[in-house]
Amino acid sequence: MFGRMNRRYDVVVVGGGPAGLAAALGALDSGVSRVLVVEREPEPGGILRQCIHAGFGLHHFREELTGPEYAERFVTQAMDRDIDVAPHSYVTGLAVDSSGHRLVRVLSSRGGLATVECRSVVLAMGCRERTRGAVRIPGTRPAGIFTAGLAQKLLNLDGYLPGRRAVILGSGDIGLIMARRLTLEGCKVEGVFELMPYSNGLTRNVVQCLDDYGIPLHLSTTVTRIHGRDRIEAVTVAPVDEAGRPDAARAWDVPCDTLLLSIGLIPENELSESLGIALDVVTGGPKVDSTLATSLPGVFACGNVLHVHDLVDFVTEEALRAGRFAGEHARQIRRPRDAIALVPGANVRYCLPHTLSADRPHTVYMRAKTRMSPCILRVGNLLERKLRFVVPAEMIHLTIQPELLERFYEDRLQIDLLPVDGGGAP
Amino acid sequence: MTERQEQHYVCISCPIGCPLRLVHEGDQIIEIEGQECNRGAKYARQEFTDPRRTFSTTVPITGAVYGRLPVKLSAPVPRQAIPAAMAAIRLLCAEAPVRLGQVLLRDVAGVAGVDVVACRTMDRVMIAPS
Amino acid sequence: MYDVAIIGGGVVGCAIARELSRYHLRTVLLERFAEVGFGTTKTNSGIIHAGQQTTPGTLKGLLEVRGNAMFDQLQRELGFGFRRCGELVVASTAEEMASLERMKADGEAKGVPGLEMWGAQRLRREEPNLSLHLVGALFAPSAGVINPYEFAFALAECAVQNGVELRVEHEVQSIALRDGGGFRIHAKIPSGPGAVPSGPGAVPSGPGAVPSGPGAVQAVPDAASATCVDVEARFIINAAGVHADKVAAMVGADDFTIRPRRGEEYLLDRRLEGIVTRLIFPVPTPASKGILIIPTFDGTLMVGPTAHDQDDRFNVPTTTEGSEEVFATVRRLCPSLDARATIAEFAGLRAVSDTGDFIIGPSRVPGFFHVAGIQSPGLTASPAIAVHVVELVGRAGLPLVEHDGFNPHVAPPARFATQPHEVRQALVEADPRFGRLVCRCELVTEAEVHQAVDHGARTLDGVKFRTRAGMGRCQGGFCTTRVMQILSRRLGVPFHEVTKRGAGSWLVIPMAEDREAAMTEAGATTGDPAAGATEEAPCSDA
Ligand SMILES: Cc1cc2nc3c(=O)[nH]c(=O)nc-3n(C[C@H](O)[C@H](O)[C@H](O)COP(=O)(O)OP(=O)(O)OC[C@H]3O[C@@H](n4cnc5c(N)ncnc54)[C@H](O)[C@@H]3O)c2cc1C
Ligand SMILES: Cc1cc2nc3c(=O)[nH]c(=O)nc-3n(C[C@H](O)[C@H](O)[C@H](O)COP(=O)(O)OP(=O)(O)OC[C@H]3O[C@@H](n4cnc5c(N)ncnc54)[C@H](O)[C@@H]3O)c2cc1C
Ligand code: SF4
Repeated sequence: MFGRMNRRYDVVVVGGGPAGLAAALGALDSGVSRVLVVEREPEPGGILRQCIHAGFGLHHFREELTGPEYAERFVTQAMDRDIDVAPHSYVTGLAVDSSGHRLVRVLSSRGGLATVECRSVVLAMGCRERTRGAVRIPGTRPAGIFTAGLAQKLLNLDGYLPGRRAVILGSGDIGLIMARRLTLEGCKVEGVFELMPYSNGLTRNVVQCLDDYGIPLHLSTTVTRIHGRDRIEAVTVAPVDEAGRPDAARAWDVPCDTLLLSIGLIPENELSESLGIALDVVTGGPKVDSTLATSLPGVFACGNVLHVHDLVDFVTEEALRAGRFAGEHARQIRRPRDAIALVPGANVRYCLPHTLSADRPHTVYMRAKTRMSPCILRVGNLLERKLRFVVPAEMIHLTIQPELLERFYEDRLQIDLLPVDGGGAP
Repeated sequence: MTERQEQHYVCISCPIGCPLRLVHEGDQIIEIEGQECNRGAKYARQEFTDPRRTFSTTVPITGAVYGRLPVKLSAPVPRQAIPAAMAAIRLLCAEAPVRLGQVLLRDVAGVAGVDVVACRTMDRVMIAPS
Repeated sequence: MYDVAIIGGGVVGCAIARELSRYHLRTVLLERFAEVGFGTTKTNSGIIHAGQQTTPGTLKGLLEVRGNAMFDQLQRELGFGFRRCGELVVASTAEEMASLERMKADGEAKGVPGLEMWGAQRLRREEPNLSLHLVGALFAPSAGVINPYEFAFALAECAVQNGVELRVEHEVQSIALRDGGGFRIHAKIPSGPGAVPSGPGAVPSGPGAVPSGPGAVQAVPDAASATCVDVEARFIINAAGVHADKVAAMVGADDFTIRPRRGEEYLLDRRLEGIVTRLIFPVPTPASKGILIIPTFDGTLMVGPTAHDQDDRFNVPTTTEGSEEVFATVRRLCPSLDARATIAEFAGLRAVSDTGDFIIGPSRVPGFFHVAGIQSPGLTASPAIAVHVVELVGRAGLPLVEHDGFNPHVAPPARFATQPHEVRQALVEADPRFGRLVCRCELVTEAEVHQAVDHGARTLDGVKFRTRAGMGRCQGGFCTTRVMQILSRRLGVPFHEVTKRGAGSWLVIPMAEDREAAMTEAGATTGDPAAGATEEAPCSDA
């Protein structure tokens, strides 16, 4: 029920975005009945509430939905299946009592600082955006510099334009989508600037969001200086060399009153860190086994808090699984310990989960380090698959069947992305 | 006889984004290749004959938890009709409660069968946040 | 007519205002920005120096040691963030060790307490993350770190509570000598949208507050969106920081010039907390500019500052060269520091006078006092400067009659984040607004934002520097709209008129305006709404 929070649950989910909602549903699927989702916003739905563009659900629902539509389907299911959702509530900490129960500390104006007891916890806190500090753009510190997500929230939830003349740094999907969105609302987008020699967003977004509206995309170019005293007045942009160093001699100034930063997302793991959960330095999220359990017993993770996803459908898939395993854990069902370490090899930035067991199929998610086309995806000596096209921005997923692992006696399985003659890594 | 020409598109029907090549003689399509599935061919044909787009935006809403209601077009409109559609939507104003899928405007910008629909349910709340 | 007008609400102006508020006087503090302390005071290293490093025999050196000693009491009275963490000047050669010995002797002569020489072993034990090349250090236990803006806010609040009138967004433009003595100060104030409510009543007045604006003459419309007011005063104290020479020139008392010297600072992620626990200075040499490692009061590390002269007194940019210089230098002291851990960077201007020392005292225009050239260690010296200036003005004829109602205390803000579980629980029970989270990175609640407004915050930055909302890792991504909403409600202005730090620093444009424009446009053409706005043409046909 929306707004209800009892003292005791089987599973408590931290965060009510698509990951949290699916995890809650997954937990019910596993046979537990008391599930709570804690959400700090006024309503569940997570970041999807502000992603009003279409492009969600093609894998999971086989139709193209907008973010709010995708979210609503899960919210409705959660309500129908009597999951408790506590809005305006923030999880500040977690403790374990002597009988092994997890104590979740929830802060809200209605319930004060409450302690909720449960057997399993699913972390689904999502991610936050990288800021100006992270890319160290020199210059003044005027008003008018927004992360793309904040601008998106202002525009799509609150109804305010961030400005009238914008420059966008970063050509990931969020940057591209915001370029179109601002243009439609009458804000002039002077250009999208991208450090890399290729766009980090989906090709379809480059076509639909920039090309259609005549917005220039400047590849291998970055913002090197911010100007303006009270409000931003201009940025200096400069082409970069292979090592990413700006060439000051070819720099130029772009007048603008707004700079949007779409320069990457970071899993939001302050809570996990404070609990001493082991994190992966590459993903920024927890290390998890094949049940999506973190290093802290009974605590699971999924969605953007685990690793930054580009498609919500995979978030849902991962979260349903995490929820199911969390529910099993609450019911004291134990799975065999994983015996195989899954490690990233050539051209693989990371792969998840960190360990596998031989008894069931596994969905493995990974990201490439560079753009390659075509290439071979190789899993130890068990499996080879030809991929037409890989880019770092698009997650690769793969199912490993138990038959393959049954006769695998080593303790380490490496995943490589190998160039094919004629194609390959640049 | 018209000369054989080619057009290049990027399929936007799904996130894969197949690069498509369409060969044509005048209005006559000879060949389409590059698609991973047949939606790609359909897309190239559409782009060649009648390029259409859809978009989503927001309209102001009163009495709801937030000040804006996300809306979308129920189907794509011809690309040139986007400004007119946007202008028409800009005049809309909703009042909570609104249901997911509720039609706010029919036949937007004069395109028959394309409606502006709500992308989410927004209940009426007692105190609207300032 | 006021007895005293202080021009400039930096830490120096605020300290003087509080000092004057001990006496039966009518004092006004005029500040250009929307809040006090938004000049150099907000953008420095935040160090309360021990004093052993400053040249003996200078006014600077004298007031620095005196100022340092005043901070324990001030902290008790005003509740700002301050901790004596001690400082280490570290040496990497035997010659440097020798100069540390000299520094120690100088410092002791100036009265700097507790100086100690440390050998390599002691240094390694106390600060194990410093470079292995270091051979020893001079330890000064009385050095500390402070949240300088909190100090300035508290000084101003205390002054206001004791009757000083604070007028923010008052930019002094000219000063005329009044017939019959005193001055008429002409100040520009903003008006129209975006103007932050200011002037009398801007900061809630405490028990001792005088009736508002005895000296405000009239408001006259000026150029564009600005209005001007005249303020009359018998004495002027010029504490305009980097603009002090310009202000002095308004009365023809410009017998010095100020050269701004920019210093860049880089704030690092909280995960580096504890890498060093004391302030780490290199031995000052002509070559090295003294780039330091600062464990700030809030627990984050900061590195900087650089030192480069510049002419522009308003735009204070950080630069790529500055960042490289800072990290190259500090990595020699502490190799695990890395530019990639930066979460924020900023720069400030030191007001370097042509004498190189502080310029404090009467000018050649009777009644007009300079407090100029207050470069580093101005923050440290500020309370001592204030006492010194008030004494001088008193000697020049200002009657200093103490009033018994002086309350030296202001209530420190309740910090939810730093409280143990039980205290948090009690706070939420007492005020449910403590249960509503505003900033997730620093765990700031709605109640704290309201408190900040109660204590004078008028802008997003004002709230940020009082509560830390927006200072953490996400740098405002989460809290910006929440804080704007509260400010909008509390100041009684529309959401879009909330600014980052005063007029000109607008944040958003309401879409409703656009809709109204579209309505009129559509209405003006035909009845068919869709036909009206085609010229907007966001879609290119390419
Ligand atoms: C701008 C943008 C565009 C995108 N476009 C697409 C697209 O076109 N197609 C697609 O498939 N995917 C897209 N994605 C990706 C997809 O939306 C995300 O991967 C997905 O929303 C992640 O879900 P999540 O539940 O992990 O995180 P979130 O949606 O961020 O949800 C996390 C929730 O946890 C809450 N929370 C965090 N900490 C706490 C705490 N301590 N206590 C209580 N609550 C807490 C947060 O408030 C939030 O509601 C896009 C993402 C963005 C940002
Ligand atoms: C990078 C850096 C690091 C530093 N580190 C330290 C340190 O660690 N320890 C230390 O003790 N000191 C330090 N300092 C020095 C210290 O910051 C200054 O000495 C101190 O802040 C000066 O305060 P102020 O009030 O004189 O100047 P400001 O804070 O600049 O105040 C002057 C005020 O006058 C106002 N003003 C100017 N013109 C007008 C006008 N015409 N009308 C109305 N108002 C006007 C301005 O808006 C401003 O608010 C540092 C300085 C810098 C730049
Ligand atoms: S052709 Fe098929 S697979 Fe390829 S992008 Fe289009 S819809 Fe997707």
